[in-house]
Amino acid sequence: MKKRTYIYRRFERFWHWSQVLLIFFLALTGFEIHSTYELFGFENAVNWHNIAAWAFLVLITFTIFWHFDSGEWKQYIPTTKYIMAQINYYIIGIFKGAPHPTHKTVYNKFNPLQRFTYLGLKLLVIPVQVVTGFLYMYYMYPENPIHLGGIEITALIHTFGAFVLIAFVIFHVYLTTTGETVLTSIKAMLTGWEVVDVDEEEEHVEHLKSAVKYSIAGYYRLDKNGNFLDVNEAWLKMYKCSDREQIIGKHYSVARREEDVKALDTIVSKVFEGEIIKAIPATRKCRDGSIGKHILSANPTYAGGDVTGMEGFIIDITDLDDESEHLHYAVKNSKAGYYRLNHKGYYEDVNDAWLKLYGFERDEIIGQHYSLSRTKEDLHKLDEMIAKVTSGKSISNMIATRKCKDGSTGKHIVSANPVYDKDVVVGMEGFILDIDSIKDEV
Amino acid sequence: MERTYITKGKFARVLMLFAVVLLPWLIAIFWVNKVSLEQKPVTVNIINYKADSLPSPVDHSAYEILQQDFTTPQQVTEACLSCHNKTGHDIMHTSHWKWSRPYVNENGDTVELGKKNIINNFCVGTDSNEPRCTSCHIGYGWKDKDFDFKAEMNIDCIICHDQTGTYKKFPVAAGYPVKEEKVFNGKKFLPPDYNKVAQNVGMPKRENCGSCHYYGGGGNNVKHGDIEKVLTNTTKEVDIHMGVDGENMSCTACHASDRHDIQGQLYSVSSYNQNRTTCEQCHTETPHENTIINQHANRVACQTCHIPTYAKAAPTKMTWDWSTAGRHNEDGSVTVEKDSNGVMTYHGKKGTFEWAKNVTPEYTWFNGNAEHYLIGDKVEDTTVPVQINTLLGDYGDLEAKIIPVKVHRGKQIYDPVNKTLIIPHLFGKDSTAYWKNFDWNKASITGMEAAGLPYSGEYSFVNTEMYWPLNHMVSSREESLKCIDCHSRDGRLDNLAGFYMPGRDRSVILDTIGVLFIILAFVGVVVHGALRYFSSSKK
Ligand code: HEM
Repeated sequence: MKKRTYIYRRFERFWHWSQVLLIFFLALTGFEIHSTYELFGFENAVNWHNIAAWAFLVLITFTIFWHFDSGEWKQYIPTTKYIMAQINYYIIGIFKGAPHPTHKTVYNKFNPLQRFTYLGLKLLVIPVQVVTGFLYMYYMYPENPIHLGGIEITALIHTFGAFVLIAFVIFHVYLTTTGETVLTSIKAMLTGWEVVDVDEEEEHVEHLKSAVKYSIAGYYRLDKNGNFLDVNEAWLKMYKCSDREQIIGKHYSVARREEDVKALDTIVSKVFEGEIIKAIPATRKCRDGSIGKHILSANPTYAGGDVTGMEGFIIDITDLDDESEHLHYAVKNSKAGYYRLNHKGYYEDVNDAWLKLYGFERDEIIGQHYSLSRTKEDLHKLDEMIAKVTSGKSISNMIATRKCKDGSTGKHIVSANPVYDKDVVVGMEGFILDIDSIKDEV
Repeated sequence: MERTYITKGKFARVLMLFAVVLLPWLIAIFWVNKVSLEQKPVTVNIINYKADSLPSPVDHSAYEILQQDFTTPQQVTEACLSCHNKTGHDIMHTSHWKWSRPYVNENGDTVELGKKNIINNFCVGTDSNEPRCTSCHIGYGWKDKDFDFKAEMNIDCIICHDQTGTYKKFPVAAGYPVKEEKVFNGKKFLPPDYNKVAQNVGMPKRENCGSCHYYGGGGNNVKHGDIEKVLTNTTKEVDIHMGVDGENMSCTACHASDRHDIQGQLYSVSSYNQNRTTCEQCHTETPHENTIINQHANRVACQTCHIPTYAKAAPTKMTWDWSTAGRHNEDGSVTVEKDSNGVMTYHGKKGTFEWAKNVTPEYTWFNGNAEHYLIGDKVEDTTVPVQINTLLGDYGDLEAKIIPVKVHRGKQIYDPVNKTLIIPHLFGKDSTAYWKNFDWNKASITGMEAAGLPYSGEYSFVNTEMYWPLNHMVSSREESLKCIDCHSRDGRLDNLAGFYMPGRDRSVILDTIGVLFIILAFVGVVVHGALRYFSSSKK
């Protein structure tokens, strides 16, 4: 599946194009210093080259931080997988109109050759160029504290680096034309958006991963001894912890009042025996001693067939009014559904529990607008909610009426939070817990 | 609604991206252009220059002792010393008087070395030729080896201090002026009016210094190339310091003296890095606004950039080939040839010359110390020019800087058996002087005997070279060298080896590989692209 995706963030594009200009300019002035031609005049060329060199150093410093901060450095981890296929493609396949052997996705922007090349630039050519450049600048004369015994070796390495960079630029510019159309890749680097492959399996996993990370629903994971292994931001917030360290490694009993620990013990032992708890109300004890209510789901985690612990979600219901009493029954039989909409309100992803609640098949709903799943009367409520979420707010515990495939309606409680792709809101996602069954029971 | 928001946002983002990318460049362009184009007024940072700090001149005509009727120059000296009673003693220690300075030779012995016993590349050596050479000594009567260097009465005070411009030493009279009217080379010399001269003395003017220093080698600008009579009254185009339309500085403004020991020395005869006159003494070591140029001063002397050419007015002698001397015309007179400008290119007494004007200096490393060919030194290899003086230093020597020099190339008489240069007896009325008899053998016998050296009876000629550091005829900053003059292939510093200089040097192998690399990349890309194009248009 192909999808127009935001793959180059703002800083990434800024950095890329600044680097283009700087390298171009450094080469231009550098080769004037090298007496290859006369352009600005030697003195100006030297001044310009020095200014550009400092600008380059500043840019590189920021960019190093950005790579780590954004996690984008992982895109450059080299791999030999498909590398032969990629080489074959450039030598043979491309002339036959064969498809690209590797697919560009948000999580894997570079093909294996690009990974090697860019990593080589980042770790070898550019650092060598910067280091020799500054040695050149500051150890020009043998009086200097570090006696290089003249600048010859430095200068020759620097010159060689310049040739390598120019050759790289030639290949690089040419290879940008091997995209969908000649200009696709360049446009993508200018605007940030490109139509790229979407691997559904990968997307699904990534969605859930980020849902856990950013969702309003709390996520937790325990080890075999009942100690916390991991919690997400929402969980910390609900428990009023300021720092993950305050909970990781502690036993789950710290999260309950004394009288409630027993109930949790029961749940935990059930889960460790392999049972899945879909939803159950619980009362938590926050770090500051205050009390809150949530609905909890739990399932065992496995490694190689053995239960290694348990994990699950919690959705806060503390502020829910008297209806909450009923929730106990409601959620007992329900199962948390997961959904994800893009910024225009089209379904991008749902899970099986969701499908079961609505009665759709996955193919029938993915790519459809959310209005399909709402009654006319309820639509404006959802519109408002989406507007709120796309402006960056998160919503917990809203009660909504769904319209199922067969036209019947049902009620559920929704959590919703914006989905960020890099720095822009590209949609919303959340969990739903069915509360229809409570009504029936009541 | 959402749609318009998104497109607007995207446009704004692209715009911003470009603003952020381009803005620094626009600022930088502006900055560099402004900095490099803006003509700053030429302000020269001067320290220590106190031209006006001397005591006000005294009216010497008021002194009775100077109103007497002098008949000999020594009487004038006696009158001077009667007041300046320590000066005679001071003078005796100066190189102007001794024509030498102490020098530690390779055995560790200290010897007196200088003009009096060093060979030069022009009239070779003073031994046996004294009366001619010593017309530029600040004394009277140094006509042979037996001159008494302790006799204060023989000091010539007037040659330096005369303010009338009428006092002249006769060119061949061992430092004396004439007693009655005489002609030399068509020029009239009158006996001085000692009375008038003695009453009109003062600080040395350009003419006083110039009366000797302009004419080294027997004519105007023959030796130095950067010191000649034009400096007496010149413009700042010729010399930024001395130009009367500019700073109008006298010689003594820079060459200050301490009890008659005048600062500054020239390495044609000097050896040690001491008591030199430097640019830095006024201009500091970092006179430029541009740090990179100040850094250059670590290894490049000021003169290198600021004296782009020398011999800007009169030509200077670049070569002197003694081996061709001796020709006569049919009428028996000595042959003299001049070029279309009236410059002498051949003289039967001296040989062949080449002159040049507006000369581009040659460049060499120099650490302030020099070695000299000492009379009697063996010349082992006659295939390379004998180095009359050697300016010491190279790139690895951190004290050494690149300086501009005039290299004077000569061909001198040589004893191939004893392997020494010969000091010929040139001047004199006797039967062996070359300029009288034109017999090199006889001249060599007399000359070498006077020098106390053996002579085998055989002579030939060898090539010689002598180095004259250039310090005068400094140009304005606009005319100074630009980066490109040296930082280019075949630039001015082309012949200095042992170090890498951006713009001058490169590795030809590396450049070839690099260019090939780029060409291959380009060709590869073009071919690949063409194949792609044709294979896709086939489908
Ligand atoms: C932060 C990075 C860099 C620094 C600090 C730097 C610094 C320098 C310095 C100091 C010089 C000597 C000339 C002078 O005095 O200004 C020089 C020369 C040169 N630079 Fe750079 N440079 C850098 C990056 C680059 C890049 C990216 C290129 C080319 C793509 C380049 C190409 C050259 C060339 C060709 C020369 C002439 C070398 C020679 O002939 O000796 N430089 N650089």
